[in-house]
Amino acid sequence: MSKKHSFIQVIKTGPGTKIRDLGRLGYAKFGVPQSGPADLQAVEWINHLLKNHSEDAVLEITQPGLKLQFEAPTLICLAGAKTEIKLNWKTENPSGILNIPTQSLLEVGKFELGAILYLGISQGFQTPIRLGSRSFFKGITEQDFVRAGDQIPYFTFSEKNHSLSNSRVRWNWDYLKKERIRAYPGPEFDLLSEDQKLQFENQSFTISNLKNGMAVQLEELIPNHLGSIYTAPVFPGTVQLTHGGKLICLLQDAQVTGGYPRILQIHPEDLRIIAQKHPNQQIRFQLIST
Amino acid sequence: MVELIPKLKKITPIWWEFQWDEKPSEKLLNTLLALNEWLWDQYGNNLKEARQGYQCLSLIWKKPPSIDIELSFPSIDLNSKKEKATWKIPVCYGGKFGKDLERLCKEKKLTEKEFIELHSKTSYRLDFYGFLPGFMYLSGLDESLSFPRKQFPERVVKAGSVGIGGNQTGIYPIDSPGGWQLIGKTPISVFSPFENPPVKPKVGDQIVFVPITEDEFEQLKNNPFSLQKV
Repeated sequence: MSKKHSFIQVIKTGPGTKIRDLGRLGYAKFGVPQSGPADLQAVEWINHLLKNHSEDAVLEITQPGLKLQFEAPTLICLAGAKTEIKLNWKTENPSGILNIPTQSLLEVGKFELGAILYLGISQGFQTPIRLGSRSFFKGITEQDFVRAGDQIPYFTFSEKNHSLSNSRVRWNWDYLKKERIRAYPGPEFDLLSEDQKLQFENQSFTISNLKNGMAVQLEELIPNHLGSIYTAPVFPGTVQLTHGGKLICLLQDAQVTGGYPRILQIHPEDLRIIAQKHPNQQIRFQLIST
Repeated sequence: MVELIPKLKKITPIWWEFQWDEKPSEKLLNTLLALNEWLWDQYGNNLKEARQGYQCLSLIWKKPPSIDIELSFPSIDLNSKKEKATWKIPVCYGGKFGKDLERLCKEKKLTEKEFIELHSKTSYRLDFYGFLPGFMYLSGLDESLSFPRKQFPERVVKAGSVGIGGNQTGIYPIDSPGGWQLIGKTPISVFSPFENPPVKPKVGDQIVFVPITEDEFEQLKNNPFSLQKV
Protein backbone atom coordinates (compact mmCIF):
# COMPACT_ATOMS: atom_id res chain seq x y z
CA MET A 1 0.00 0.00 0.00
CA SER A 2 1.49 3.35 -0.94
CA LYS A 3 1.54 5.80 1.91
CA LYS A 4 0.37 9.23 0.95
CA HIS A 5 -0.65 11.76 3.56
CA SER A 6 -4.09 13.24 3.38
CA PHE A 7 -6.33 15.19 5.72
CA ILE A 8 -9.81 15.25 7.06
CA GLN A 9 -11.15 18.77 7.40
CA VAL A 10 -13.28 19.07 10.51
CA ILE A 11 -16.16 21.30 9.43
CA LYS A 12 -18.24 20.96 12.56
CA THR A 13 -18.09 18.98 15.80
CA GLY A 14 -19.83 18.86 19.14
CA PRO A 15 -17.73 18.80 22.32
CA GLY A 16 -15.89 15.64 23.35
CA THR A 17 -14.53 14.38 20.02
CA LYS A 18 -11.12 12.78 20.54
CA ILE A 19 -8.48 10.62 18.91
CA ARG A 20 -8.17 7.30 20.76
CA ASP A 21 -6.05 4.21 20.53
CA LEU A 22 -5.40 1.47 23.07
CA GLY A 23 -3.77 4.09 25.30
CA ARG A 24 -0.72 4.42 27.49
CA LEU A 25 0.13 1.15 29.15
CA GLY A 26 3.05 1.15 31.55
CA TYR A 27 2.97 4.89 32.26
CA ALA A 28 0.67 4.77 35.28
CA LYS A 29 3.75 4.67 37.51
CA PHE A 30 4.42 8.25 36.35
CA GLY A 31 0.82 9.27 37.06
CA VAL A 32 -0.28 9.02 33.42
CA PRO A 33 -3.84 7.76 32.82
CA GLN A 34 -4.40 4.88 30.43
CA SER A 35 -6.72 6.75 28.00
CA GLY A 36 -7.76 3.69 26.03
CA PRO A 37 -11.23 3.42 24.48
CA ALA A 38 -14.22 3.19 26.83
CA ASP A 39 -15.79 0.69 24.39
CA LEU A 40 -12.75 -1.44 23.68
CA GLN A 41 -14.69 -4.13 21.82
CA ALA A 42 -15.98 -1.58 19.30
CA VAL A 43 -12.45 -0.35 18.54
CA GLU A 44 -11.11 -3.90 18.23
CA TRP A 45 -13.92 -4.80 15.84
CA ILE A 46 -13.29 -1.71 13.68
CA ASN A 47 -9.55 -2.29 13.37
CA HIS A 48 -10.13 -5.96 12.63
CA LEU A 49 -12.56 -5.21 9.80
CA LEU A 50 -10.24 -2.59 8.32
CA LYS A 51 -7.32 -5.07 8.52
CA ASN A 52 -5.54 -2.49 10.69
CA HIS A 53 -3.18 -3.06 13.58
CA SER A 54 -5.02 -3.37 16.88
CA GLU A 55 -3.28 -0.23 18.18
CA ASP A 56 -4.30 1.98 15.24
CA ALA A 57 -6.02 5.23 16.25
CA VAL A 58 -9.74 5.92 15.77
CA LEU A 59 -12.03 8.88 16.37
CA GLU A 60 -14.26 8.87 19.46
CA ILE A 61 -17.49 10.83 18.97
CA THR A 62 -19.95 11.59 21.77
CA GLN A 63 -22.26 14.24 20.26
CA PRO A 64 -24.39 14.53 17.14
CA GLY A 65 -23.54 17.20 14.59
CA LEU A 66 -20.14 16.02 13.38
CA LYS A 67 -19.26 17.00 9.80
CA LEU A 68 -16.05 15.76 8.18
CA GLN A 69 -14.69 16.42 4.71
CA PHE A 70 -12.31 13.72 3.38
CA GLU A 71 -9.70 15.00 0.91
CA ALA A 72 -8.72 11.66 -0.59
CA PRO A 73 -10.19 8.15 -0.94
CA THR A 74 -10.10 5.75 1.97
CA LEU A 75 -12.13 3.19 3.88
CA ILE A 76 -13.71 3.97 7.21
CA CYS A 77 -15.54 1.73 9.67
CA LEU A 78 -18.11 2.59 12.34
CA ALA A 79 -19.10 0.81 15.56
CA GLY A 80 -20.32 1.55 19.07
CA ALA A 81 -23.41 3.76 19.31
CA LYS A 82 -26.17 3.51 16.69
CA THR A 83 -26.33 6.88 14.95
CA GLU A 84 -27.69 8.52 11.84
CA ILE A 85 -24.92 8.50 9.20
CA LYS A 86 -24.92 10.39 5.92
CA LEU A 87 -22.25 10.14 3.26
CA ASN A 88 -22.58 12.84 0.61
CA TRP A 89 -26.16 13.49 1.77
CA LYS A 90 -27.15 9.84 1.40
CA THR A 91 -28.12 7.78 4.44
CA GLU A 92 -25.75 4.88 5.07
CA ASN A 93 -25.42 1.88 7.36
CA PRO A 94 -24.57 3.13 10.83
CA SER A 95 -22.04 0.33 11.36
CA GLY A 96 -19.41 -1.48 9.35
CA ILE A 97 -17.20 -0.42 6.47
CA LEU A 98 -17.91 2.58 4.24
CA ASN A 99 -16.03 3.30 1.05
CA ILE A 100 -15.05 7.00 0.97
CA PRO A 101 -14.48 8.54 -2.48
CA THR A 102 -12.42 11.72 -2.98
CA GLN A 103 -13.88 14.89 -1.44
CA SER A 104 -16.60 13.13 0.53
CA LEU A 105 -18.71 14.72 3.22
CA LEU A 106 -19.57 12.52 6.18
CA GLU A 107 -22.21 13.59 8.68
CA VAL A 108 -23.02 12.05 12.05
CA GLY A 109 -26.55 12.91 13.15
CA LYS A 110 -28.81 11.72 15.94
CA PHE A 111 -27.61 9.12 18.47
CA GLU A 112 -30.41 6.54 18.44
CA LEU A 113 -28.79 4.11 20.85
CA GLY A 114 -25.67 4.47 22.97
CA ALA A 115 -23.44 7.45 23.73
CA ILE A 116 -20.09 6.81 22.04
CA LEU A 117 -19.49 6.23 18.33
CA TYR A 118 -16.10 5.10 17.04
CA LEU A 119 -14.92 5.93 13.54
CA GLY A 120 -11.87 4.02 12.32
CA ILE A 121 -9.95 4.58 9.12
CA SER A 122 -7.74 2.41 6.97
CA GLN A 123 -4.23 2.43 8.56
CA GLY A 124 -5.44 4.57 11.46
CA PHE A 125 -5.33 8.32 12.12
CA GLN A 126 -1.81 9.77 12.08
CA THR A 127 -1.80 12.39 14.86
CA PRO A 128 1.47 12.54 16.87
CA ILE A 129 2.39 9.80 19.34
CA ARG A 130 3.13 10.98 22.88
CA LEU A 131 4.23 8.49 25.53
CA GLY A 132 3.42 5.54 23.33
CA SER A 133 -0.07 6.61 22.28
CA ARG A 134 -2.03 9.02 20.09
CA SER A 135 -4.94 9.24 22.59
CA PHE A 136 -5.74 12.88 23.27
CA PHE A 137 -5.08 13.95 26.84
CA LYS A 138 -4.64 17.49 28.10
CA GLY A 139 -1.04 18.16 29.06
CA ILE A 140 0.27 15.16 27.12
CA THR A 141 -0.89 15.71 23.54
CA GLU A 142 -0.97 19.20 22.03
CA GLN A 143 -4.72 18.89 21.63
CA ASP A 144 -7.30 17.82 24.17
CA PHE A 145 -10.26 17.69 21.77
CA VAL A 146 -10.94 17.78 18.04
CA ARG A 147 -12.34 21.18 17.08
CA ALA A 148 -13.94 22.74 14.00
CA GLY A 149 -11.22 23.84 11.58
CA ASP A 150 -8.81 21.05 12.59
CA GLN A 151 -7.11 18.85 10.03
CA ILE A 152 -6.71 15.20 10.98
CA PRO A 153 -3.98 13.35 9.06
CA TYR A 154 -4.48 9.88 7.54
CA PHE A 155 -2.96 7.77 4.77
CA THR A 156 -4.87 7.43 1.55
CA PHE A 157 -4.25 4.43 -0.72
CA SER A 158 -4.17 3.92 -4.46
CA GLU A 159 -5.47 0.37 -4.92
CA LYS A 160 -8.83 0.36 -6.62
CA ASN A 161 -9.80 -3.18 -5.76
CA HIS A 162 -9.76 -2.99 -2.01
CA SER A 163 -11.84 -5.85 -0.71
CA LEU A 164 -15.21 -4.86 0.63
CA SER A 165 -16.22 -8.39 1.46
CA ASN A 166 -16.83 -7.47 5.08
CA SER A 167 -18.99 -4.51 4.32
CA ARG A 168 -22.23 -6.27 5.12
CA VAL A 169 -21.10 -7.32 8.59
CA ARG A 170 -23.27 -5.54 11.15
CA TRP A 171 -22.27 -4.47 14.62
CA ASN A 172 -24.45 -6.02 17.31
CA TRP A 173 -26.06 -3.18 19.30
CA ASP A 174 -27.79 -5.38 21.91
CA TYR A 175 -25.33 -4.47 24.68
CA LEU A 176 -26.43 -0.83 24.45
CA LYS A 177 -29.81 -1.85 25.93
CA LYS A 178 -28.38 -3.92 28.77
CA GLU A 179 -28.70 -2.61 32.32
CA ARG A 180 -26.94 -5.35 34.25
CA ILE A 181 -23.29 -4.72 34.99
CA ARG A 182 -21.12 -7.41 36.52
CA ALA A 183 -18.80 -6.15 39.25
CA TYR A 184 -16.29 -7.65 41.66
CA PRO A 185 -16.22 -6.44 45.27
CA GLY A 186 -13.48 -3.78 45.43
CA PRO A 187 -10.62 -3.63 47.95
CA GLU A 188 -12.72 -1.66 50.48
CA PHE A 189 -16.06 -3.42 49.88
CA ASP A 190 -15.76 -5.19 53.23
CA LEU A 191 -15.89 -1.85 55.05
CA LEU A 192 -19.58 -1.59 54.11
CA SER A 193 -22.36 -2.85 56.36
CA GLU A 194 -24.44 -5.85 55.26
CA ASP A 195 -27.35 -3.49 54.50
CA GLN A 196 -25.19 -1.33 52.28
CA LYS A 197 -23.84 -4.37 50.47
CA LEU A 198 -27.39 -5.53 49.76
CA GLN A 199 -28.25 -2.13 48.35
CA PHE A 200 -25.83 -2.74 45.51
CA GLU A 201 -27.61 -5.87 44.46
CA ASN A 202 -31.19 -4.74 44.94
CA GLN A 203 -31.20 -1.20 43.69
CA SER A 204 -31.18 0.41 40.27
CA PHE A 205 -28.84 3.33 39.77
CA THR A 206 -29.34 6.31 37.49
CA ILE A 207 -26.60 7.81 35.34
CA SER A 208 -26.24 11.48 36.32
CA ASN A 209 -25.31 14.24 33.90
CA LEU A 210 -21.85 14.37 35.47
CA LYS A 211 -20.29 12.11 32.88
CA ASN A 212 -17.10 12.56 30.88
CA GLY A 213 -14.06 10.54 29.79
CA MET A 214 -12.76 10.39 33.36
CA ALA A 215 -15.80 9.20 35.26
CA VAL A 216 -19.55 8.88 35.50
CA GLN A 217 -21.39 9.78 38.69
CA LEU A 218 -24.55 7.94 39.74
CA GLU A 219 -27.58 9.78 41.17
CA GLU A 220 -28.58 7.54 44.07
CA LEU A 221 -26.67 7.95 47.32
CA ILE A 222 -25.34 5.19 49.55
CA PRO A 223 -25.27 6.82 53.01
CA ASN A 224 -22.04 5.76 54.68
CA HIS A 225 -19.64 6.58 57.45
CA LEU A 226 -16.52 5.68 55.55
CA GLY A 227 -13.81 8.32 55.59
CA SER A 228 -10.97 8.72 53.14
CA ILE A 229 -8.43 6.00 52.63
CA TYR A 230 -4.72 6.48 52.22
CA THR A 231 -4.29 7.27 48.50
CA ALA A 232 -4.38 3.98 46.61
CA PRO A 233 -4.36 2.75 42.99
CA VAL A 234 -7.57 2.99 40.94
CA PHE A 235 -8.32 1.73 37.45
CA PRO A 236 -10.90 2.22 34.71
CA GLY A 237 -13.94 0.40 36.11
CA THR A 238 -13.23 1.19 39.78
CA VAL A 239 -16.36 2.41 41.61
CA GLN A 240 -15.53 4.84 44.43
CA LEU A 241 -17.81 5.86 47.29
CA THR A 242 -17.43 9.48 48.45
CA HIS A 243 -18.10 10.85 51.96
CA GLY A 244 -21.36 12.25 50.67
CA GLY A 245 -22.47 8.79 49.55
CA LYS A 246 -21.99 9.40 45.83
CA LEU A 247 -20.83 6.58 43.60
CA ILE A 248 -18.21 7.49 41.00
CA CYS A 249 -17.45 4.94 38.27
CA LEU A 250 -14.04 5.64 36.81
CA LEU A 251 -13.55 5.46 33.06
CA GLN A 252 -10.55 5.38 30.72
CA ASP A 253 -9.12 8.85 31.43
CA ALA A 254 -9.38 8.48 35.21
CA GLN A 255 -6.41 9.41 37.33
CA VAL A 256 -4.27 6.48 38.46
CA THR A 257 -4.71 6.91 42.22
CA GLY A 258 -7.56 8.02 44.45
CA GLY A 259 -8.45 8.69 48.06
CA TYR A 260 -12.03 7.39 48.23
CA PRO A 261 -12.86 3.80 49.24
CA ARG A 262 -12.87 1.50 46.20
CA ILE A 263 -16.14 -0.37 46.54
CA LEU A 264 -16.54 -2.24 43.24
CA GLN A 265 -14.52 -3.16 40.18
CA ILE A 266 -16.62 -3.45 37.04
CA HIS A 267 -15.98 -6.51 34.88
CA PRO A 268 -13.82 -5.34 31.94
CA GLU A 269 -16.29 -6.64 29.36
CA ASP A 270 -19.15 -4.68 30.98
CA LEU A 271 -17.36 -1.35 31.32
CA ARG A 272 -18.64 -0.39 27.87
CA ILE A 273 -22.25 -0.86 29.00
CA ILE A 274 -21.98 1.95 31.54
CA ALA A 275 -19.77 4.10 29.27
CA GLN A 276 -22.40 3.90 26.52
CA LYS A 277 -25.26 5.10 28.78
CA HIS A 278 -26.80 8.57 28.64
CA PRO A 279 -27.77 10.62 31.71
CA ASN A 280 -31.07 9.40 33.27
CA GLN A 281 -30.60 5.84 32.00
CA GLN A 282 -30.51 3.03 34.54
CA ILE A 283 -27.99 0.37 35.48
CA ARG A 284 -27.94 -2.47 38.01
CA PHE A 285 -24.92 -4.11 39.57
CA GLN A 286 -24.54 -7.85 39.76
CA LEU A 287 -21.85 -8.85 42.25
CA ILE A 288 -19.60 -11.65 41.09
CA SER A 289 -16.67 -13.39 42.76
CA THR A 290 -13.20 -14.11 41.40
CA MET B 1 11.60 -12.51 54.69
CA VAL B 2 10.05 -9.16 53.97
CA GLU B 3 9.99 -7.38 57.29
CA LEU B 4 6.48 -5.97 57.02
CA ILE B 5 4.29 -8.78 55.75
CA PRO B 6 1.40 -7.66 53.54
CA LYS B 7 -1.98 -9.29 53.02
CA LEU B 8 -2.70 -10.41 49.49
CA LYS B 9 -6.19 -9.66 48.13
CA LYS B 10 -7.26 -10.96 44.74
CA ILE B 11 -9.74 -8.32 43.60
CA THR B 12 -10.36 -9.70 40.10
CA PRO B 13 -8.71 -12.57 38.23
CA ILE B 14 -6.01 -10.16 37.00
CA TRP B 15 -5.93 -7.44 39.69
CA TRP B 16 -4.14 -8.46 42.88
CA GLU B 17 -3.30 -6.12 45.70
CA PHE B 18 -0.75 -6.38 48.49
CA GLN B 19 -1.96 -4.39 51.49
CA TRP B 20 -0.11 -3.33 54.60
CA ASP B 21 -1.94 -2.39 57.79
CA GLU B 22 0.76 0.08 58.65
CA LYS B 23 1.10 3.86 58.71
CA PRO B 24 3.04 5.25 55.74
CA SER B 25 6.73 5.47 56.60
CA GLU B 26 10.12 5.25 54.96
CA LYS B 27 10.35 1.64 56.11
CA LEU B 28 7.00 0.76 54.53
CA LEU B 29 7.95 2.52 51.29
CA ASN B 30 11.25 0.65 51.13
CA THR B 31 9.45 -2.65 51.72
CA LEU B 32 6.98 -1.83 48.99
CA LEU B 33 9.71 -0.85 46.53
CA ALA B 34 11.75 -3.96 47.32
CA LEU B 35 8.74 -6.23 46.87
CA ASN B 36 7.83 -4.50 43.60
CA GLU B 37 11.35 -5.01 42.27
CA TRP B 38 11.35 -8.66 43.33
CA LEU B 39 7.96 -9.29 41.69
CA TRP B 40 9.12 -7.82 38.36
CA ASP B 41 12.31 -9.83 38.63
CA GLN B 42 10.42 -13.08 39.29
CA TYR B 43 7.21 -12.59 37.30
CA GLY B 44 8.01 -9.74 34.91
CA ASN B 45 6.90 -11.75 31.86
CA ASN B 46 3.46 -12.29 33.35
CA LEU B 47 2.97 -8.76 34.67
CA LYS B 48 1.26 -5.99 32.79
CA GLU B 49 1.71 -3.21 35.34
CA ALA B 50 2.13 -2.32 38.99
CA ARG B 51 0.71 0.73 40.76
CA GLN B 52 1.66 2.02 44.17
CA GLY B 53 -0.36 3.60 46.92
CA TYR B 54 0.69 4.58 50.44
CA GLN B 55 -0.29 1.23 51.94
CA CYS B 56 -0.67 -1.02 48.94
CA LEU B 57 0.86 -2.32 45.77
CA SER B 58 -1.52 -3.22 42.94
CA LEU B 59 -0.53 -5.72 40.27
CA ILE B 60 -2.22 -6.21 36.94
CA TRP B 61 -1.33 -9.59 35.45
CA LYS B 62 -1.23 -10.69 31.86
CA LYS B 63 -1.40 -14.13 33.34
CA PRO B 64 -1.52 -14.58 37.11
CA PRO B 65 0.82 -17.21 38.58
CA SER B 66 -0.87 -20.33 39.91
CA ILE B 67 1.39 -20.66 42.95
CA ASP B 68 1.02 -18.83 46.26
CA ILE B 69 3.59 -16.13 45.65
CA GLU B 70 3.28 -14.74 49.16
CA LEU B 71 4.82 -17.97 50.49
CA SER B 72 7.95 -17.41 48.48
CA PHE B 73 8.73 -13.85 49.54
CA PRO B 74 12.40 -13.07 49.33
CA SER B 75 14.72 -11.94 52.05
CA ILE B 76 15.08 -8.22 51.55
CA ASP B 77 17.71 -6.44 53.54
CA LEU B 78 16.22 -3.01 54.06
CA ASN B 79 19.42 -1.75 55.60
CA SER B 80 21.36 -2.10 52.38
CA LYS B 81 19.47 0.87 51.06
CA LYS B 82 19.91 1.84 47.48
CA GLU B 83 21.34 5.25 46.76
CA LYS B 84 18.52 7.79 46.80
CA ALA B 85 18.97 10.94 44.76
CA THR B 86 17.99 14.42 45.94
CA TRP B 87 16.47 16.81 43.39
CA LYS B 88 16.44 20.61 43.61
CA ILE B 89 13.28 22.36 42.51
CA PRO B 90 13.64 26.15 42.24
CA VAL B 91 10.54 28.00 43.47
CA CYS B 92 9.64 31.66 43.34
CA TYR B 93 7.40 32.10 46.40
CA GLY B 94 4.52 34.52 46.90
CA GLY B 95 3.36 37.49 44.84
CA LYS B 96 1.86 36.63 41.47
CA PHE B 97 3.53 33.21 41.61
CA GLY B 98 1.88 32.15 44.86
CA LYS B 99 -1.21 34.24 45.35
CA ASP B 100 -2.39 32.48 48.51
CA LEU B 101 0.88 32.83 50.42
CA GLU B 102 0.04 36.20 51.98
CA ARG B 103 -3.29 34.92 53.31
CA LEU B 104 -1.74 31.71 54.65
CA CYS B 105 0.95 33.69 56.44
CA LYS B 106 -1.70 35.87 58.10
CA GLU B 107 -3.68 32.82 59.22
CA LYS B 108 -0.51 31.14 60.49
CA LYS B 109 0.87 34.34 62.06
CA LEU B 110 4.15 33.81 60.21
CA THR B 111 6.16 36.23 58.11
CA GLU B 112 6.58 35.21 54.46
CA LYS B 113 10.28 34.69 55.18
CA GLU B 114 9.51 32.30 58.04
CA PHE B 115 6.95 30.44 55.94
CA ILE B 116 9.36 30.04 53.01
CA GLU B 117 12.12 28.88 55.35
CA LEU B 118 9.87 26.22 56.86
CA HIS B 119 8.78 25.03 53.40
CA SER B 120 12.25 24.97 51.85
CA LYS B 121 14.27 23.55 54.75
CA THR B 122 12.64 20.11 54.45
CA SER B 123 13.80 17.28 52.27
CA TYR B 124 10.56 15.68 51.03
CA ARG B 125 10.25 11.98 50.20
CA LEU B 126 8.69 11.08 46.86
CA ASP B 127 6.22 8.33 47.78
CA PHE B 128 4.70 7.77 44.32
CA TYR B 129 3.21 9.49 41.29
CA GLY B 130 -0.57 9.89 40.89
CA PHE B 131 -3.51 12.34 40.64
CA LEU B 132 -2.10 14.00 37.46
CA PRO B 133 0.60 12.99 34.97
CA GLY B 134 3.88 13.61 36.80
CA PHE B 135 2.27 14.65 40.10
CA MET B 136 4.55 13.70 43.02
CA TYR B 137 3.06 12.62 46.33
CA LEU B 138 5.56 14.17 48.75
CA SER B 139 5.73 13.52 52.46
CA GLY B 140 7.45 15.57 55.09
CA LEU B 141 5.53 18.86 55.16
CA ASP B 142 6.19 20.74 58.41
CA GLU B 143 2.99 20.34 60.48
CA SER B 144 2.81 24.08 61.13
CA LEU B 145 2.29 24.68 57.38
CA SER B 146 -0.61 22.30 56.82
CA PHE B 147 -3.77 24.03 55.59
CA PRO B 148 -7.12 22.73 54.28
CA ARG B 149 -7.84 22.66 50.55
CA LYS B 150 -10.07 25.37 49.11
CA GLN B 151 -13.77 24.74 49.37
CA PHE B 152 -14.23 25.49 45.67
CA PRO B 153 -11.45 24.29 43.39
CA GLU B 154 -10.13 26.79 40.85
CA ARG B 155 -10.84 26.06 37.21
CA VAL B 156 -7.24 26.38 36.07
CA VAL B 157 -4.11 26.11 38.15
CA LYS B 158 -1.05 26.70 35.98
CA ALA B 159 1.61 24.04 35.47
CA GLY B 160 4.51 24.57 37.88
CA SER B 161 2.35 25.97 40.68
CA VAL B 162 3.45 24.83 44.12
CA GLY B 163 0.70 24.34 46.64
CA ILE B 164 -0.36 23.05 50.04
CA GLY B 165 -3.41 20.84 50.48
CA GLY B 166 -4.04 19.43 53.96
CA ASN B 167 -0.76 18.01 55.22
CA GLN B 168 0.67 17.61 51.72
CA THR B 169 2.66 19.84 49.47
CA GLY B 170 3.23 19.37 45.76
CA ILE B 171 3.69 20.78 42.28
CA TYR B 172 1.02 20.89 39.57
CA PRO B 173 2.88 19.26 36.65
CA ILE B 174 0.33 20.34 34.01
CA ASP B 175 -2.48 22.91 33.86
CA SER B 176 -5.36 21.48 35.84
CA PRO B 177 -8.33 22.40 37.99
CA GLY B 178 -7.19 22.35 41.60
CA GLY B 179 -8.10 23.17 45.17
CA TRP B 180 -4.71 23.58 46.81
CA GLN B 181 -3.46 26.80 48.40
CA LEU B 182 -0.92 28.23 45.97
CA ILE B 183 2.31 29.45 47.57
CA GLY B 184 4.75 29.65 44.66
CA LYS B 185 5.73 28.48 41.23
CA THR B 186 8.65 26.67 39.65
CA PRO B 187 9.90 27.76 36.21
CA ILE B 188 11.02 24.25 35.29
CA SER B 189 8.88 21.39 33.98
CA VAL B 190 8.68 18.41 36.25
CA PHE B 191 6.84 16.44 33.54
CA SER B 192 7.52 16.29 29.80
CA PRO B 193 5.50 14.17 27.36
CA PHE B 194 8.44 14.44 24.95
CA GLU B 195 10.83 12.56 27.25
CA ASN B 196 10.78 8.93 28.19
CA PRO B 197 10.46 8.54 31.11
CA PRO B 198 8.47 11.78 31.31
CA VAL B 199 9.74 12.48 34.85
CA LYS B 200 13.21 12.43 36.38
CA PRO B 201 12.92 11.75 40.13
CA LYS B 202 12.33 8.11 41.07
CA VAL B 203 9.99 6.92 43.78
CA GLY B 204 11.93 6.99 47.05
CA ASP B 205 14.09 9.96 45.99
CA GLN B 206 14.20 13.24 47.93
CA ILE B 207 12.91 16.61 46.74
CA VAL B 208 14.02 20.01 48.07
CA PHE B 209 12.54 23.38 47.16
CA VAL B 210 15.08 26.14 46.58
CA PRO B 211 13.76 29.72 46.88
CA ILE B 212 14.61 31.89 43.86
CA THR B 213 13.99 35.52 42.88
CA GLU B 214 11.69 36.70 40.10
CA ASP B 215 14.75 37.42 37.90
CA GLU B 216 16.05 33.88 38.39
CA PHE B 217 12.56 32.58 37.57
CA GLU B 218 12.61 34.40 34.21
CA GLN B 219 16.09 33.06 33.40
CA LEU B 220 15.26 29.44 34.25
CA LYS B 221 11.97 29.58 32.34
CA ASN B 222 13.87 29.27 29.08
CA ASN B 223 15.30 25.89 30.01
CA PRO B 224 12.21 24.10 31.19
CA PHE B 225 13.09 20.41 31.66
CA SER B 226 16.25 21.10 33.57
CA LEU B 227 15.64 19.41 36.89
CA GLN B 228 18.96 19.05 38.70
CA LYS B 229 20.27 16.61 41.25
CA VAL B 230 21.90 18.09 44.32
